[in-house]
Amino acid sequence: MSQTRHLVLLGINHTTAPIEVRERIAISSERLADATRTLLHQPGIREGLILSTCNRVEFLTLQENSGSNHGADLLRFLHEYFAVPPQTLLPHLYEFREREAIRHLFRVASSLDSMVVGEPQILGQVKESYTVAREVGAITGSLDALLQRAFTVAKKVRSETQIGSSSVSIASVAVNLALKIFGSLQGKTIMLVGAGKMSELAARHLIQHGASNILVANRTFSRAQSLAEKFNGPGVRTEAFSFDTLYAEAPRADIVITSTGAPQKIFGRSHGQHFLHQRRNRPMFFIDIAVPRDVDPGMNDVEGCFVYDIDDLQQVATANLADRSREAQAAETIVSREVEKYHERLQVRDAAPAIVALQQNAEAIREAELKRMQSKLATLSAEQLAAVESLTRSLTAKLLHPQMVALRQAARDPSNTETKE
Amino acid sequence: MSLFWLKVAVLLYGIAALAVLPAALYDRPRWRHIAIPATIAALLFHFVSFAETLNAAHHRLPVDTHETLSLLGLILALAFLLVYWRYRTVSLGVFILPICFLLGLVPAFRPGQESTPFPQFHTGWIFLHIALLLAAYAALLFSLLASVLYLIQERSLKSKHNTPKASWLPPLETTDQIALKSLLFGLPCMTAGLLIGSLIAQQTIGPSYFLDPKVLLSFALWLAYVGMIFIRRHSGLRGRRAVYLSGFVFLVVLAVWAANQFSAVHRFAAP
Repeated sequence: MSQTRHLVLLGINHTTAPIEVRERIAISSERLADATRTLLHQPGIREGLILSTCNRVEFLTLQENSGSNHGADLLRFLHEYFAVPPQTLLPHLYEFREREAIRHLFRVASSLDSMVVGEPQILGQVKESYTVAREVGAITGSLDALLQRAFTVAKKVRSETQIGSSSVSIASVAVNLALKIFGSLQGKTIMLVGAGKMSELAARHLIQHGASNILVANRTFSRAQSLAEKFNGPGVRTEAFSFDTLYAEAPRADIVITSTGAPQKIFGRSHGQHFLHQRRNRPMFFIDIAVPRDVDPGMNDVEGCFVYDIDDLQQVATANLADRSREAQAAETIVSREVEKYHERLQVRDAAPAIVALQQNAEAIREAELKRMQSKLATLSAEQLAAVESLTRSLTAKLLHPQMVALRQAARDPSNTETKE
Repeated sequence: MSLFWLKVAVLLYGIAALAVLPAALYDRPRWRHIAIPATIAALLFHFVSFAETLNAAHHRLPVDTHETLSLLGLILALAFLLVYWRYRTVSLGVFILPICFLLGLVPAFRPGQESTPFPQFHTGWIFLHIALLLAAYAALLFSLLASVLYLIQERSLKSKHNTPKASWLPPLETTDQIALKSLLFGLPCMTAGLLIGSLIAQQTIGPSYFLDPKVLLSFALWLAYVGMIFIRRHSGLRGRRAVYLSGFVFLVVLAVWAANQFSAVHRFAAP
């Protein structure tokens, strides 16, 4: 009995399930190998991969032909492994098969299915899952080829579209703007005025990009000190001071992030002029996250001072997001084209056993016929025998050619399931 | 044969000038892989053509406007590649490569016929005089273009409309570095070029060469050049005022160039 393999993908993501459901079947990286191994031991599953991120948990499997419902098999695995009742998961689950499963995988790897379309982390996460699956022997043949193709498609989407080129979070917009001003943030000095989650996050992003000097100013020196300690790390120099020395220290900073709760502006236009003079016109970037604002917007008119408040940053992020959506359309076209190409290749490959069987059968008949005529051919010379051999081979090949072409064409036709059977 | 190589170089400059547009304006790395090799190949063919031209005419200096323009194009292309190698930006190519194309186009299809009657000019020194001054002009052009790019980028960042139109521009600090370092490179070139020229003129024409309008303007240009570097370095002049200053000095360069028409010294006649 011939075995047909089916590609089945079952999962939940941020669009289908709330975090309360996602976290119940989320798998940490430490448990991923064990979970993948368990998945592989389920009946009918030949190859498998588990992708678990904060936004999705997906099970990609290659299952062997059986009368059973492949999705139900996977659901049983989820129930047994995570001890989650099927009725809890069922309303949130999606299931894709064959071509749609390929499409989904390509879209996920290309970051088209991500919460923030175009974010780069997902490809790394898919690769991580792939590495674990390979290590535990859960990926050996067809899934390997499919995942390699998914990586290629993701790279193609990145290189042929601008899907990941613009920043869409406030912190990354701030970093991007700083890079547009300073080129590189290596060795740059950041001053944090006031404390706040978002300003801290922006500062951390800037440090990740090379900023190495952190000045922290606060109304109370002890608060400034405790905040400065948070940034201590290899290659990062921190300094804390109170507001008394704020204006004297500010010209040292290339980037100033403000987030105080002060009702009045802390930095006015004249401060900007003074700082620039002190810095011999080297540019200064003010990121004003405070509401009400800490920096006078008029300072932006001072040559060399760049002032962005929270609305400005949000506006850039929104514009970039719109750009990404436009690029996503181009990316979808690439994915669709690649899905078709891959699926076609799979179908042609599926027809290969039938073609081989046909050729073997014809060869057996040819050899049997030659054997039957052996006594009559005995009088022929070696040269004549070779000619007969060549003639019969050529005839067989020519007779088989139309059938083989028809088989390949039928395999490419997605509506034709009879031929494959 | 030299004209053939120049035509090949011009064609390659044309390809590079077109390829640099998507590479710079739309950040398409594939086009960068066409623009840069095309520029390198163009530069090589241009150099071969230039060397052959000088050898074929048995003189060691570019004697007419066409040959001088061709040499300026060669220096600009070389400078563009150096800037690309150092700062990894092709944005300046949007302006420089079409200029290289145009500077090569005229000599490639309408070669000059002039020749100098003075064999004493056929020395390496006069070639050095011309090449160094052209390098200084090229440096000034780069500085001006970089200052303009700085101004556009600055305006774009201040307007807070982070449109893709401005995203192709290099960061402010990069353009500032290009502008300043170009000037710092150009100053010794201009100083050495003027000194060599003065010594040659002193020997062949005598002290009266100093009254030549082009010579006077050239020294005025040198003073403006030094003044500009001083201001930029000491006050950190950037943005709008830097563009005005570079623009002014560039106008002086054009005046010096135009003064060829009135210069007896540079038309190889006694003043």
